[in-house]
Amino acid sequence: MADVLSNYPVGEAFDEMIDVEGSVRPSYRAVYSALSRSTSHDLRVIAESLANNYTQAGVTFDVGGVERPFPLDLVPRVIASPEWEIIEGGVAQRVRALEAFLSDIYSGARVISDGVIPGQLVTSSTHFHRAVWGIQAGNGVRIHVAGVDLIRNPAGDVRVLEDNVRVPSGVSYVMTNRNAMITAMPEAFANQRIRPVAGYPTRLLTALRKAAPPGVEEPTVVVLTPGVYNSAYFEHTLLARTMGVELVEGRDLECRRGKVFMRTTAGLQRVDVIYRRVDDEFLDPVHFRSDSMLGVPGLVNAVRTGGVTLANAIGNGVADDKLIYTYVPDLIKYYLREEPIIPNVDTWRLEDDQAREEVLDRVQELVIKPVDGSGGKGIVIGPRATKAELDELRRRVKEDPRGWIAQPVVQLSTVPTLIEDHLQPRHVDLRPFAVNNGEDVWVLPGGLTRVALPEGELVVNSSQGGGSKDTWVLSPPPHRSPSSHRSATDHSDDTDDQAKASEMPPLHRPAETEVPLTVAKVPVTVMPKMVEAQRQQQDQQQQANPRSPEC
Amino acid sequence: MLSRIAESMFWIGRYVERAEDTARLLQTHLRLIIEETAAHEVDACRNLLALMSVDHVTDPTLTDLLRILGYDPSEPTSIYFSFAAARDNARRAREVIPLDLWECVNTTWHQLPTAPFGPSGAHVFLNWARERSAMFAGISRGIMVRDDGWQFMSMGRSLEQADMTSRLVASASLTHGSTQWPAVLRGCGGHDAFLRTYRGLYTDREAAEFLIVDARFPRSIMHGLIAAADSLQRVAQNNPLTARHAEPALRSLGQLRARLEYADLDELLSNLNHEMAVVQDVTAQVTIAVSTSYFAAEEPPAWTTEGTR
Repeated sequence: MADVLSNYPVGEAFDEMIDVEGSVRPSYRAVYSALSRSTSHDLRVIAESLANNYTQAGVTFDVGGVERPFPLDLVPRVIASPEWEIIEGGVAQRVRALEAFLSDIYSGARVISDGVIPGQLVTSSTHFHRAVWGIQAGNGVRIHVAGVDLIRNPAGDVRVLEDNVRVPSGVSYVMTNRNAMITAMPEAFANQRIRPVAGYPTRLLTALRKAAPPGVEEPTVVVLTPGVYNSAYFEHTLLARTMGVELVEGRDLECRRGKVFMRTTAGLQRVDVIYRRVDDEFLDPVHFRSDSMLGVPGLVNAVRTGGVTLANAIGNGVADDKLIYTYVPDLIKYYLREEPIIPNVDTWRLEDDQAREEVLDRVQELVIKPVDGSGGKGIVIGPRATKAELDELRRRVKEDPRGWIAQPVVQLSTVPTLIEDHLQPRHVDLRPFAVNNGEDVWVLPGGLTRVALPEGELVVNSSQGGGSKDTWVLSPPPHRSPSSHRSATDHSDDTDDQAKASEMPPLHRPAETEVPLTVAKVPVTVMPKMVEAQRQQQDQQQQANPRSPEC
Repeated sequence: MLSRIAESMFWIGRYVERAEDTARLLQTHLRLIIEETAAHEVDACRNLLALMSVDHVTDPTLTDLLRILGYDPSEPTSIYFSFAAARDNARRAREVIPLDLWECVNTTWHQLPTAPFGPSGAHVFLNWARERSAMFAGISRGIMVRDDGWQFMSMGRSLEQADMTSRLVASASLTHGSTQWPAVLRGCGGHDAFLRTYRGLYTDREAAEFLIVDARFPRSIMHGLIAAADSLQRVAQNNPLTARHAEPALRSLGQLRARLEYADLDELLSNLNHEMAVVQDVTAQVTIAVSTSYFAAEEPPAWTTEGTR
C-alpha cells in the first residue's frame, strides 16, 4: 500500500474506499492510483490549492455573521453506477410519495380518512399551515427541490436519515466542489467517466418556469434570499447567477392586487415565480410572523389568488416532520403502490407509551431528535451526553412526546480524509438533490457529501465543524451500451455533454480517429518589421557604446 | 435592473475609485511632507485631512495621516475602508458581477493590511492599492456587458474621480509657492502628458487648466463630469419609461460643466479652494439626485392597504 494510505485503520464502520480485507474497492481504483502516486507533500499542495481556490472565489458559509470557508477534502466520494441507480430511484420515489402526500393533506386528506396516518399527527405539526389549504399553484408541484439525507450503515446498506422538502441547501457546493477538484486534481479524473453536475441550474430553471401561473408565457423567475448575512447566501448568489435571474430580498418586492412586482431602475416589474430561500414563518408579515423584515407583505394573498408561484410551496414542512418520516414507507405503499426502494433508519415514535418507556430506559445509547429541527439543531447523542443533559432530555420528552423521535446510533460509513499529513477515516453522509418539474423527478448525479472532520464525530453538519467532499457518480462502462459511440439522439442534454468534455482532461482521452481541419489558416497579423537599412543606421548611432560580446 | 443592485454597482465604482485616488493623494503628499522640514508636518497633515473632511484629530502627525487615510478599517476615509466597502457591495451584487471581477475585489479584500505601517511601508501599500484599482478597471472594461449595471458603476466611478481630482487640485494650494503643481500632476499620473501638451513651458495657470477643464485627460474634472453625464444618459435611453428620472442629475452636471468651461482661469485660480468646493458640492448633489431617482424606489409599507386597493 502506498505511503499516504499506510497504517490506514479500518474501523467498525463501513469504509467507502477500503474493504475489510484492506483492498481497494473497484469504484475507487482510479482515485487510489492517483493518490498512491502522491507523497504527503503533494497532497498538502493539493489541499492548499483547494483552500485558496475557495478563499479567492469567496465560497463561504456564514456563522453568526462571520464568513467561513467550507473545507473541501481532496479525496472524493465515489459511487458506482449500479448503486447510483438504486439511490436515484429511491430518492425520486420518496419525492413522488411526499408530493402526493402534501397535495392530499392540503385538499381532501384521504390519507387520514383511510387510516394510514392519524389526523392529529398532521394538525399538530408546527409546519402545517391552514393558510395554504386548497391551493394548487402553477402546475401543482409543491416540492420543486428536495434534498434527501442518506447514510450507509456498517452492513453496507443505504438508509434514509431524513427528508428536506422546505428549503434544502448545499447544492452550490456540489457545483463548486467539482470545479475546484478539476483544477486541483485533474489526474484523478483520468480514465473514467464521471457524471457531470453542471446541468443543475438549467434543470432548476426549467422546473421553475414550468411552475409559473397558468397563462404566463415568458415567466419572470427570481431567487428570494434573506440577505447577505444568511448562512447560505453564497448559494443564493450562485443559483441566481447560473440561472441568469435576479436575486431579490424581501424589500425589493411589492405586492399589489394579488400580483408581485420587483422594484427596478425602470419602475415596477412583474414577478411570476419566486424560488424562495426564506422560511415559511418569515415570508409574509401579514400571515406569519409580523416582526419579519425579510418577507413581503401580501405574498400569501398573491399565492392564494394565483398571482405568483412560490417554490417550494408554503407548508411543506409537514412532510419532512420527523414523525411523519416514520410513516413515509407506508405513504409510498399507499400513494404509489410500490415497495420503498431505500428503507428508513429504525425509529421509535415516542407518543407510543411502550416505545417511550423503552427509549427513556436506554436513552444513553440512542440518538434523540426534535421532529421539526433541521441542520443538526437540538440533536442529543446519548453516548456522548452528560447525565444532566440526559435528565433534562427525559423531562422534555415526557412533557412533549410528539416533539421527539429516537434512533439507534448509526456508525456512518467512512471515506479517507486528509487530516494533517495522513489519510484517516472520517464519517460521511450524502444529500442527493432532486428537482421536480411536474412531469418527472430528476436526481442530480451525486449530491453533497458532508464529512465530520473531528475523529469519531458522527454529526456532519457544516455548522458543527464539518467539511465536504466532491461526489463522483461513475458512468456505466461503455461496453454495456450496444455501440461504443453515443447516437445523435443521446445528445439531448447539451449542458451535460459540455461539462463532460471539460471533465475529461484531453491528455487521457482515448485516441479517436483524427478529424481533418475544417478551419482556414489565416496568418496572424504582426507589426511590420523595421526596414533593415533603418535598423543599421540606428545601430550605427550606438557605436560609441561598448558592444556586447555576442554582436 | 433591481434598484438595490444598481445602488451597489454605483458604490462599487465609487469606492474602488476612491481607494485609488486616496492612494494617489497620499503618495503625492507623503513625498512633499517628507522632503520638507519636520516643523511643517502637523500643518501639512492637518490641511490634508481637512481637505478629506476629517476634523476629529488635533495636531495630527504623519502616523495619524497614514492611519486615517490608509490602514484603519474604522476610518471612513481610509483606503482600507473603501476596499472593504467595495467588497461588501460586490458581495451584495454577486450575481450580476462577472466571476473574474468578483475574485479581483475579493482577493483585494483578503490582502488588506492587518498591521499598521510607517512611511517606508506606505509606498508598497499605496502602489498595491493603485494596482488593484487598475486591475479592477481593466477586468471590468474587458468583460462586463454594457448594461445598466455597467453604467451605474461607471457613473459612480466618474463622479468619484471628479470629486477626488478637485480635492487633489485644491491640495496644490495648501502651502504657498508654485512647486506643488508638478507633484499634483505626478499624483494624477499626468505629468508627462502635461509636459507634452504644453511643450514644457507652463505656469500654474496651464497646470490648473489641464487638471480641471482638459477633457482629453481622463483624470481631469471635466472628463469625470462628461463621463458621468454620459452614463446617466445611457441609463435614460435604456429605460424610456423612467427617462425623466435622469433630469435633475443631468442638469446639475451640465451647469457645473458650463461654469468650469467658461470660467476665467485667473479668477478660478485665485478662488481655487472655493471653486473646488463647488465641484464637491455638485457631485454630492448628483449622488443624492441619482439615489432619489433610481435607488430609493421604496415606498412606504404597502401592506396596510393591501387588499383594499
